[in-house]
Amino acid sequence: MAPFTEDELKAKVQEGYIVESVQEMTEGYRKALVVQLTVQADTELMSAPAYWMAARYAPSTNTQVSAHAIIQDELAHANIAYRLLEDIGESKEHLVYGREPHEFKHPYGFDQPLDNWADLVVATGFFDRAGITLLTDVHENTSYGPLKRALIKIGIEETFHLRHGEVWMKRLSNAGGEVREILQRSVDWMFPMTLEWFGLPDDMKRHSGQLDYKLKALTNDSLRQVWMSATVPLCESLGLNVPAHYDESAEHYVLDYPFPCQYDAMEKHWFFEDGEISWDTVFERWKARGPMNQRYVESIRRSRDQVAKWLTAA
Amino acid sequence: MHEVVYEVFARKERGEPLKHIGYIDAMDDALARVYAWKTYDEERWFEMCVVPRSCIIPVNRTDGPFAAAAPRKDRL
Repeated sequence: MAPFTEDELKAKVQEGYIVESVQEMTEGYRKALVVQLTVQADTELMSAPAYWMAARYAPSTNTQVSAHAIIQDELAHANIAYRLLEDIGESKEHLVYGREPHEFKHPYGFDQPLDNWADLVVATGFFDRAGITLLTDVHENTSYGPLKRALIKIGIEETFHLRHGEVWMKRLSNAGGEVREILQRSVDWMFPMTLEWFGLPDDMKRHSGQLDYKLKALTNDSLRQVWMSATVPLCESLGLNVPAHYDESAEHYVLDYPFPCQYDAMEKHWFFEDGEISWDTVFERWKARGPMNQRYVESIRRSRDQVAKWLTAA
Repeated sequence: MHEVVYEVFARKERGEPLKHIGYIDAMDDALARVYAWKTYDEERWFEMCVVPRSCIIPVNRTDGPFAAAAPRKDRL
């Protein structure tokens, strides 16, 4: 039985208590941590096939190496997060191999095809920046000791992915002409995709166990601001258009399009012109999953059964 | 494919303490060495080693992953 009640543990972690074992957790704490770690693990795992299929567009052997180094890191991060889940009573075997593709908890952005080298570098520039934004908050504030320690390695490597993405965005942008137009198209679908990833606005957000148990500290809107504070100036410096700007009087970034809005995954097009939609409609789209969901999940597990049979027969 | 947990320890430089840096799952010691080296490649380690979690004998704690993995006779 947990040594604390829910209220006692919530009070203790707010005062800086670090939880080190599953035996110290209340069921509420454990469940909130399982949700957080599952999203983290699934996101790292599903970024790998998305980047892997896009790595074939790498323009040189050097870029092949750097793209595959990123994929290797993402798989290692997924492994670490699933291992953390095992230590709090969840089954990695079930999580990786036992679920239906639509049951994974990664963001909708990693159900999308990355169709060229520009898509891949903007993904590492935008999506990995989102990952760093989310995980830096967790690293600095989490009350769960094993996760805090694991995030040291993950932070170092995600920073390399981000740098790779941003350096290549600059290079493609400087090339100008048609290349910049291709880059702009990648930015056009991935900028709103990343902002949506951070979830419900604070004024609609349901009660958050993750904040109560100090598994993170920043709200969804704060995280969106942190992401934009790096991404909007980057894009502006490269002459890339993004539908957001800094409002001097309000002292924060504001969006220049209806948020949230509908998305056509086949055309990679956001329907700004159709206006704002409800978050329930967004959740329906997320729940239905995107065009690459099944293929990405299958690519992770396709040889598992075959090799398991070989080993059993041997 | 039955895997067990290995704890990974490493030090960056001569003179530094060996630190616990993470864990991996592997089917045997040989694969554990490979997975640890390839997974924790964020530094150029001077020394790295792996230890099956079940070989760690807890001294003062009865909770946490080491206590859960310790052979029954070594549990507090």
